[in-house]
Amino acid sequence: MSDCILRMSNINKSFFGVPVLKEARLEVLPGEVHVLLGENGAGKSTLIKILSGAYTREGGLIEINGQAIPAISPKEALNIGISVIYQEFNLIPDLPVYENIFVGKEFGKGIFVDHKQAMEKAEVFMKKVGLNVSPKTLVKDLSVAQKQLVEIAKAISNHVKILVLDEPTAAITEKESDMLFEIIKELQKEKIGIIYISHRMKELFEIGDRCTVMRDGEYVGTVNLSETSEDELTKMMVGRTVNFEKNINNLKDNDQVVLEVNQLQYRNYLKDISFQLHKGEILGFAGLVGAGRTEVAKCVVGALKKTGGSVKYKNTELSSSLPENIRKGIVYLSEDRKEEGLVLSHSVMDNIVLPNLSKLAKPFLRKKEMVCCANNYIQTLRIKTHSHLTEVQNLSGGNQQKVVIAKWLYSEADICIFDEPTRGIDVGAREEIYNIMKDLIEQGKSIIMISSDLVEILKMCDRVAVMREGMIETILENNADLTQEIILKYAMQGGE
Amino acid sequence: MEIVKKKIDGKLSTLTIYLGLGVIFLVFALTCKILGKNFLTLNNLFNIITQASIISILAIGASLVIVTGGIDLSVGSIVGFIGIFGGLLIKAELPLFLAGILCILAGALFGFANGMLVSYGKVPPFIVTLGAMQVARGLALLINRGQPISGFPKSLGMVMSFKVFGLIPVSVLYVFVFYAIIVVIMGYTKFGRHIYSVGGNINAARLSGVNVKKIIVMVYVLSGIFAAIGGIMLLARLTYADPNAGAGYEMNAIASAVIGGISLSGGKGKIGNTLVGAIILSTLTCGLQIMNVPTYYQTIVTGIVIVSAVFADKKKERQSE
Repeated sequence: MSDCILRMSNINKSFFGVPVLKEARLEVLPGEVHVLLGENGAGKSTLIKILSGAYTREGGLIEINGQAIPAISPKEALNIGISVIYQEFNLIPDLPVYENIFVGKEFGKGIFVDHKQAMEKAEVFMKKVGLNVSPKTLVKDLSVAQKQLVEIAKAISNHVKILVLDEPTAAITEKESDMLFEIIKELQKEKIGIIYISHRMKELFEIGDRCTVMRDGEYVGTVNLSETSEDELTKMMVGRTVNFEKNINNLKDNDQVVLEVNQLQYRNYLKDISFQLHKGEILGFAGLVGAGRTEVAKCVVGALKKTGGSVKYKNTELSSSLPENIRKGIVYLSEDRKEEGLVLSHSVMDNIVLPNLSKLAKPFLRKKEMVCCANNYIQTLRIKTHSHLTEVQNLSGGNQQKVVIAKWLYSEADICIFDEPTRGIDVGAREEIYNIMKDLIEQGKSIIMISSDLVEILKMCDRVAVMREGMIETILENNADLTQEIILKYAMQGGE
Repeated sequence: MEIVKKKIDGKLSTLTIYLGLGVIFLVFALTCKILGKNFLTLNNLFNIITQASIISILAIGASLVIVTGGIDLSVGSIVGFIGIFGGLLIKAELPLFLAGILCILAGALFGFANGMLVSYGKVPPFIVTLGAMQVARGLALLINRGQPISGFPKSLGMVMSFKVFGLIPVSVLYVFVFYAIIVVIMGYTKFGRHIYSVGGNINAARLSGVNVKKIIVMVYVLSGIFAAIGGIMLLARLTYADPNAGAGYEMNAIASAVIGGISLSGGKGKIGNTLVGAIILSTLTCGLQIMNVPTYYQTIVTGIVIVSAVFADKKKERQSE
């Protein structure tokens, strides 16, 4: 199609040698709402970040109105009319609406700002998006839906040609969504190309014209939404034909419940979470980002204070004290290595020994013992590092993850909760991490594995808890009949 | 080869600091020689450390707090408060030892208040300790109606002027004993490693089972205790209590830590180097004094040295980018 407003072709991108986009493609027509669909980690946000100039592409072509554009900075992207509205808004809370709309391009003469003119102009844009507040209102006093409108007004004021909306309805009410759709339809009339990212199947069909599906960083296909169905889209999303051998676990002991969670609640994020973990079991937690999987894990270990329900470890109630639970042998390996898993500026050794200092202090720590223990794990987990003294920030993602695992292997935990243990890790290291899990099971430990990678879930888990919007939708036995489609259907549409 | 390089990289900060100290010594030794004076005498060396003793002990607290990513501005005022508070206790004919214990408790209490407000109250450390700085100074003035105290028993002066084997000033001994203890604590105990982890990444530390709130409170308590010890030392050295004593000490303590390579962003730095930092500052003062350079210049030079030290340290980072 030669008349498309945006064409991205053969886009490649990798992080630390791990490819995340492989020949990705996207074509958007003027005035259409183009849905971008894919599982977590399919590469949607990476593709968008390349479009917005936040990441640089490694090959490939971006054309706007048939004109090729070079690698650009986020600011240049804005100037040529590409606006992305992320879930976390890019607004200054303590400034009024009108200043937010025109931030970076204030009106005025010389060094003075003409507030009156800015306010008048802002009102025009605000009217267009149906934002009925005074332009002087501070952004922090607005609701989420209103802030979203400010973002859209800001984009329009930038002469937006391509508007990307990343899960715009995730945090707003149904009524507000309807209003948003009205505005989107208005924008379509102005021939703006809209890229719409969402997991809510129903609304995709309501608002979208066409849909591009991505999987594992690759382009799967583009379909007209009027000619397809939810099931067909789901099939496109999971159609991965990776051969994998399902891990057969004979060690699961159904008579021995090590962890029992009953009607766990956490503020308004989690409702009625109940499940059991058996000795020697790997229990998977599947679901979309934001479904509440990490919150469940954090409530169990005590990193978040649950607001209701009970967590029992071997028939005794667990407290909400994280250090105490770690001592009892329940540990959580964060999905966010950099923010929560590691002290990046510290050495491999210091990171490995950190949760285990009680064991090493007698009462003084002996360097020799610490070095010995660190080197032991560097060898057994095959952590690629110059030495035990290397700062972990100099390691690759896979090796950083191994350091996180080493921390907790050494602590001899009884229940390990792995949160996205293979995110951003290459295939080889993945297998090694799976092997570590198998070893743990053989030692009679139990594992909860949170993962967005359904292949991994099917390969490793004995049972799969599927979460959706803060609840466990179902817990499925991982037998021969279980497929990615079934899991994804529960995760996206629920059990109905 | 790579490993060797890494090892050298890790030691570079420490090397730079010792090199800096060496260069300063050399410059003074040479200029003094030219001026016909002697700089490198044992007496002078002891003098330098004695001069540095109070600041270097305050700097232990400053370093601990900075390693956790905080700052403690209140220590100078606590020094002033402890002078008056301890002075009144001694005047009330309490035994010196008991007075000392009470002073340390008072310092710990200040630190405890700071720590609780920072960790549980979530007030930024700068604000908390800025407030404590005012409160402590106010209390120092209040409890003796702004009057200084003098006329102390001779035994008080001995706390600082005593010479071990008739040679080594006891204050030098204090410094080395306290630093020996803190170096062991920071490098070889659970508590010390936890302090570094809190400053390096508070979330990771918490999820690793470190009681981060407790660590933060403890660090401020220690800073308060070292401030009290500094206060006692100053009182003993002057045998005179001035409610305005110790003003600006917190800045010298922080400067010592920073020159010693303690990173203000937390999680990094060797506490032993803080002592080197304090000695560098005091060497400058002593050296310039011997050379009869007016005090105004001394302050200017000190200021330049502080910034240069960090500039040199950061240069490495800029190059590696």
